[in-house]
Amino acid sequence: MRLLNKITLNLLAITLFIFLIGMVAFYYMLRQQVDQNINQELKKREMSISKEFDTAHSSVNQSVNLSDTVIITPLNQPRLIESFSDTLLFNPETNSYALFRQLGFIKTIHNRDYYIQIFKPLEETDRLIIRIVIIMNLLVILIILPLIIANRHSSRQDWKVFYDTLSKINNYDVNSHEAFLLQNSDIKEFEDLNRVLVAMTERIKNDYLNLKEYIENASHEIQTPLAIINSKMELLLQSGDMKEKQYKTVADAYEASNRLSRLNKTLILLAKIENRQFPESKPVNPAIMINHQLESLEDLIHAKKITVIKQMEAEVTISMNPYLAEILLVNLIKNALRHNISGGELNIELTNQHLKIANSGPALKIDPETMFKRFHTSSSSSESLGLGLSIVQKICTVYGFNVNYSYQNNLHVMQVDFIKAELKKK
Amino acid sequence: MKILIVEDEKPLSDSMVEYLAEEGHLCEAVYNYFDAIGKIGMYQYDCIVVDINLPDGNGLDLIRVIKKQSITLGIIIISALNSLENRIEGLEIGADHYLTKPFHLAELNAHLKSINRRISYGGSNQITVNEIRLIPDEHKAFVLDQEIILTKKEYELLLFFISNKNKVITKAGLAEYLWGDYMDLADSHDFIYTHIKNLRRKLLKKGCEDYIKTIYGLGYKFEIS
Repeated sequence: MRLLNKITLNLLAITLFIFLIGMVAFYYMLRQQVDQNINQELKKREMSISKEFDTAHSSVNQSVNLSDTVIITPLNQPRLIESFSDTLLFNPETNSYALFRQLGFIKTIHNRDYYIQIFKPLEETDRLIIRIVIIMNLLVILIILPLIIANRHSSRQDWKVFYDTLSKINNYDVNSHEAFLLQNSDIKEFEDLNRVLVAMTERIKNDYLNLKEYIENASHEIQTPLAIINSKMELLLQSGDMKEKQYKTVADAYEASNRLSRLNKTLILLAKIENRQFPESKPVNPAIMINHQLESLEDLIHAKKITVIKQMEAEVTISMNPYLAEILLVNLIKNALRHNISGGELNIELTNQHLKIANSGPALKIDPETMFKRFHTSSSSSESLGLGLSIVQKICTVYGFNVNYSYQNNLHVMQVDFIKAELKKK
Repeated sequence: MKILIVEDEKPLSDSMVEYLAEEGHLCEAVYNYFDAIGKIGMYQYDCIVVDINLPDGNGLDLIRVIKKQSITLGIIIISALNSLENRIEGLEIGADHYLTKPFHLAELNAHLKSINRRISYGGSNQITVNEIRLIPDEHKAFVLDQEIILTKKEYELLLFFISNKNKVITKAGLAEYLWGDYMDLADSHDFIYTHIKNLRRKLLKKGCEDYIKTIYGLGYKFEIS
């Protein structure tokens, strides 16, 4: 539940609860006031009736109006009670019982005690009270609702900064080259939160960059000793005055150090792609590049008896770094050749939207997701570095291309969508 | 060919001097920018092999100085920095090749040979080894004056072999020469095997002697006695 909703609901519940209690209290207070009022009036009538009894002895006319009704009951035992109470009286006019306030008092006439009851109708005042309460209710609701709505609206404005911060943290990428900026807020807590977050991301980024720099420096520094090792071993191999066993030993060591050199070079390349150190983009024509690559690999294609099927729109151009474009295409094509079977197919489809490179081969035994991971090799072939597809993916990420793998009709399909991933989402 | 090697790592410099001296080149080695400038001022060289990161200067600056003195001089850059900008800048100011450390001595040698051809014969020369004749400008190869049709890679392979004749050529060195860096060379050995098989077959068919010897587990040797 959103905090804003939670606050609104809490506010609503508390308001309604207090209001309910207030209304009940209000009702009883009003009721009491009204009763007092009526009592006073009854009291006044009592006085006037007493006076009448004292001055005139004429009998009181029977009245239809119940409020004027006076019931006089002779009292045998002396009772000294004067009391107010609510009672129901039958009204012949409306043919129904109605609520009346009655005052009973004792009057001594000619030395005889009479119990006299006088009445005042409560019905109208009751109705009035209910009406007042209803109006009060309506008024309160009319006041509370706009209040809550206004509160919600203004809170939402205040929370906007928070949600903005939240979405920015959610999308935070330590590799990103954009500055991490948050909206200003006039709320202290949010301002504090943003300040802490900016400081934190700054620190993380610095640590990350330091680490990355360290690794890159290390990689570069490794190059020179490797060059020395390689050159020394190459010289050793040329010397020719070694026994076969020694020869074999040096050859193995040489092979291993070569592998290390290649690995290091490739990792440096990956780091560079990640750092976007290939900024200049030009329109490149993939069709020309693909043809060029196929030409240089024709011997291998012939050797493996692979049929190449090309469906390329010749005028397609993509804006990217030509060097990276070449690396991307070379890796995709070589990958498709390497995992091809003898007498298999190599399908290349190029349109403005995508590049599809498909090759024959048995289904994968591994999860396709792991294919793009570094150092993942399908076979036990120790020669493969397992970085080819990793490079492909890195380059695609830099240019916002989408690359995915699928297996259809005994073909492994690598598809690169040139349409930027973000645009597609919209 | 008279070669000046400017490389601050002495062991690497020694390796280059040794390998190139065997090829009959006259090599001199200096280990910093200052000495390099001194040598250039005093002597004439045919080619300079220069490292970009020198303890007291930048190899690129050195190239600029050299190029003011002599246009024809061959220049090969060797650097641990394989940045594209460096590579482009190096080639723009007149370097012939750019090698990234670690590199193969055979590859350096092959590049030096091509520079040598450019300087000595203006590039329009022929390379003749016994019955094999190559015309580098036209990418043509002849055996006993009969042209043999080679693919681009086969031609490059033959040229590389001839440049490093009687030397052990490792498979890794060949693969990098033929396809450059950054290729996942998983099956490069299969590639190379295919290329060499085809090249050998084409050469033998025209009556060429079988010069390409396989050295088990290591590579090949183009043996000319």
